[in-house]
Amino acid sequence: MTFVTPRKLLTIMLLATALGIGYYSMNTAPVLSDESHTYHGDTAWKTDVEEAQQVAAEEDKPLLIYFWTTWCTYCDDYNSNAYTDPTVLDRLDDFVLLAINLDDGSPEASELQQRYNANYPPQHVAVTPDGEVLIEINGYAETDSFAAYLDEARSEWEER
Amino acid sequence: MTIGTVLIAVALLAGLAATVVLFYSYLRRDDRYVDAVTPLIGATAGLLVIALGYLTYQFVVTDYSNAYVWNNTANYIPVLYRVTGVYAGNEGSILLWAAFTAVVALWAAVVRGLDGRDTKLVQGITMGIVTYFTAMLFVDSPFRSITQEFPEAGEGFVPLDGTGLNPLLIDPYMAIHPPVTFIAYALLTMPFAIGVAHFVSTIRGDGGIFAEWIGSVTRWLRISWLFLTAAIVLGSLWSYTVLGWGGIWAWDPVETAVLIPWLFLTATLHAVMNYRSRSTYATLAPAMTATTLALVVYATAIVRSGVFRSVHSFANDGIGGALLVLLAATATLGIGLPFGYWLLREPEEDVDDSQTWLSRTNLLHLAVLGVGLLGFVSIWGLSFPVLNSYVTGMEVEVTGRYYNLWSYPIAIGVLLLIGFYMDYDVQGKRRASISLAVFTAATILAALVAPSETWTLSDVSANDALFYRIVGSASALSVVPPAAYVCLTVVNRALELVPGAPNRNFQLKQAGIAMIHVGFALLVVTLAFSYLFTAQSSLVVADAQNEATLEDAPVHDVPGSSYAVEVTDYRDYRLPEDPDVRNVALSAEQVIDRGEGIHETRQPVYGTVTQVNQGPEATVVQLDNSRIWLGVVGESGETVDVSEGDRVVAVGTVMWDFLPEMQQSDAVVVAEPANVGPVADPPQALDQTRVEGSSAGLVVYEDGNRIASGEAGQERYVQQGGMEVRNVLVDRGLAHDTYVIAAVDDGTVSLTIRQIPLMTAMRASVGLLLLGMVFVVLFDPAYGLVRSWPRTARQTNAVETSD
Repeated sequence: MTFVTPRKLLTIMLLATALGIGYYSMNTAPVLSDESHTYHGDTAWKTDVEEAQQVAAEEDKPLLIYFWTTWCTYCDDYNSNAYTDPTVLDRLDDFVLLAINLDDGSPEASELQQRYNANYPPQHVAVTPDGEVLIEINGYAETDSFAAYLDEARSEWEER
Repeated sequence: MTIGTVLIAVALLAGLAATVVLFYSYLRRDDRYVDAVTPLIGATAGLLVIALGYLTYQFVVTDYSNAYVWNNTANYIPVLYRVTGVYAGNEGSILLWAAFTAVVALWAAVVRGLDGRDTKLVQGITMGIVTYFTAMLFVDSPFRSITQEFPEAGEGFVPLDGTGLNPLLIDPYMAIHPPVTFIAYALLTMPFAIGVAHFVSTIRGDGGIFAEWIGSVTRWLRISWLFLTAAIVLGSLWSYTVLGWGGIWAWDPVETAVLIPWLFLTATLHAVMNYRSRSTYATLAPAMTATTLALVVYATAIVRSGVFRSVHSFANDGIGGALLVLLAATATLGIGLPFGYWLLREPEEDVDDSQTWLSRTNLLHLAVLGVGLLGFVSIWGLSFPVLNSYVTGMEVEVTGRYYNLWSYPIAIGVLLLIGFYMDYDVQGKRRASISLAVFTAATILAALVAPSETWTLSDVSANDALFYRIVGSASALSVVPPAAYVCLTVVNRALELVPGAPNRNFQLKQAGIAMIHVGFALLVVTLAFSYLFTAQSSLVVADAQNEATLEDAPVHDVPGSSYAVEVTDYRDYRLPEDPDVRNVALSAEQVIDRGEGIHETRQPVYGTVTQVNQGPEATVVQLDNSRIWLGVVGESGETVDVSEGDRVVAVGTVMWDFLPEMQQSDAVVVAEPANVGPVADPPQALDQTRVEGSSAGLVVYEDGNRIASGEAGQERYVQQGGMEVRNVLVDRGLAHDTYVIAAVDDGTVSLTIRQIPLMTAMRASVGLLLLGMVFVVLFDPAYGLVRSWPRTARQTNAVETSD
């Protein structure tokens, strides 16, 4: 009687495969965030609400708040379209970027989420450093209209 | 104490009594009280069903004395969605689950009886779970009275209108998705109990019960697979039309969480088929059977506890803790117990037939492993970001890409395996091996043929990891050979087995098996292609509101597509359309009924003006010829324009004996002019608008032919945080669906048109999958629900071997 039967061998191979998948996928998963930023397309967004507000006030720029989740397919569309588009990236320079992961559940995040009625992703809100709404973009906007929204937010901001 | 609470309490007592008697009888081998058990189970099931019916009734008649009803519906909601409110929150969902589980327990007790020691253990475990659910309901009741919610409002307070239902649930699919899900969950309780009882019995040296209960186990598992599949399908159809959630499937945590038990259940069905009491799978099959319920509880805990926030976490209040306890209990019994037994006690397995590599048993084992591996990909994707952020503090991203690219090669492997098994079963080793080699080669070749970039499974960039680059740049064409292989071999096998078989039921069962596997193969193909080949284009109709009024509205070509669109209608609307003032305000009579209790409180009132006294600083008007008057006091002498016969509504402070000099007045409701208005145009504070909708009527043309017309737009739920829901226009076509999303605002309509291919084929493949399982459930000669003719001998006729 041999110790290793085909079935046992298959099972062991499967476990090894599972371990391999686990290890490999964990090590190669794209980094979404480090201590102070999350990354979407070619853009880096601040995650600390207070810090972002402070920077916005210091630099006298409006804030663009982006509500997103990992499983939102329209957020992926933003990543591959708007956030890699040079015209959009240019315009984003005029804003302080703050990204809120709706799954994160921190009190600051849920407060912002409630204040701007961000119920499901994706949602963008451009606000003044004091938190007054300039424009809202609910859901997905094609890159052109996304850029147009940003222009609108900027002119709203400049009128103030 | 409300009627509902009493129902729950009595059900809890009956369930507890049944559980105690069953365990006592099992442990002491004392049957003295066993006769009482079936009536007790009947009482538990009956009371829970009555409680569920009563809660549904309260929803239909909008009985807001129940806080749960008040929280989950409103007067303007139509009856169908009032019923949906029953399971919109945690308490109602648990009631649904508990009631179904109790009915399952009753069914088992009545059909199978309670003879035999092990039967008592199985029923004891089932009733234990029912009792636990009922205890959860007792602690966190769906029948909590509204006065507990608002103690300051005093006894007898009943709100006039509810707060409303989560807008995402206002959808026909959501009316049936939850009950179907909970039926599947409830049905899994029996296999769990049988699996656990098997290990208890084995460890206690009573020899185990799985062999004897195999028929039951198979039937329960198959029927719950049927319901669970239907539940997932219904959920997918729902998310397909609810925009923002990415179509049929988006690997949302909750979708992934429910896929895990489904995959596991699928693997379990194959493992149970492989079960032979003394040799193969003597431990694994019962262990897997026992595990499924724990996975279901895990999925529910994810959905309801708020561990992962998603669109599904409708509420997170306390119930998560109770579910986590249940998860711990079911996992200990269903996973820990079998695992411990396997580690410490399992006898050496007979190695007689397992030395041959190629056998049906080993192939089935591979199938179990393959499906298990798919399950692992899902579990891991859900878990490792959490683990990783705990360990390293760094957040990593798990997107659809992770799930898609890891699951894809495994699914392809499983398809090839199904093909090989089906072929091997009727053609023998040599021929089957040759065709496997041919189809595997075809798969690999097809993976290299990508006519355009759309065909590749994913966009890859140079800094992706090697595996993602390889699988991501494979062509979707690679799914075709394995799927064709499955279809050919399955049909071939059915043609070999079915014609000429003497037993009608056997023929029907084999047809069912063929349908399930062909359905699965088609599902994989259609999923891959419809995901990759969805085309999207957009158009802005700037002057839509004007165009809608034109006799001959212009037809706009949608750039980059074969579509054209005409706007035929444009409207803004509010719901409820014709609000009833009685939803928000009290009549003069009701004010009198409430009496001194509401002295100096702010109350809304309405009525017809029957007398007007215009003073220098205030206007006092009589309502409905009663002793209740409305006093309108402006700060700087503003007056309000009312005359006799007007129907007015106002909100103000009720003051009893406010004007003692006015004989015909008992109370005056003192209001500011801004808070008074005609019923047709009430003041802001009493505005009943729930939904602000904008909608465009559209006609869609494809290649010049009119293909669909209908409305698309969005609705904003003003009293639910301004949550927005889209109404989409979907045209279901044979080759592809046309899916139109419209953002309607300020006279402009911004359209996004998606062409989603193969949706009808996908719906058909799912139909085939479900129909096939219905055939197997009904006609399996060994364990089917329809007895075969001539009737075959069945093992399960309550033969007791222990004692």
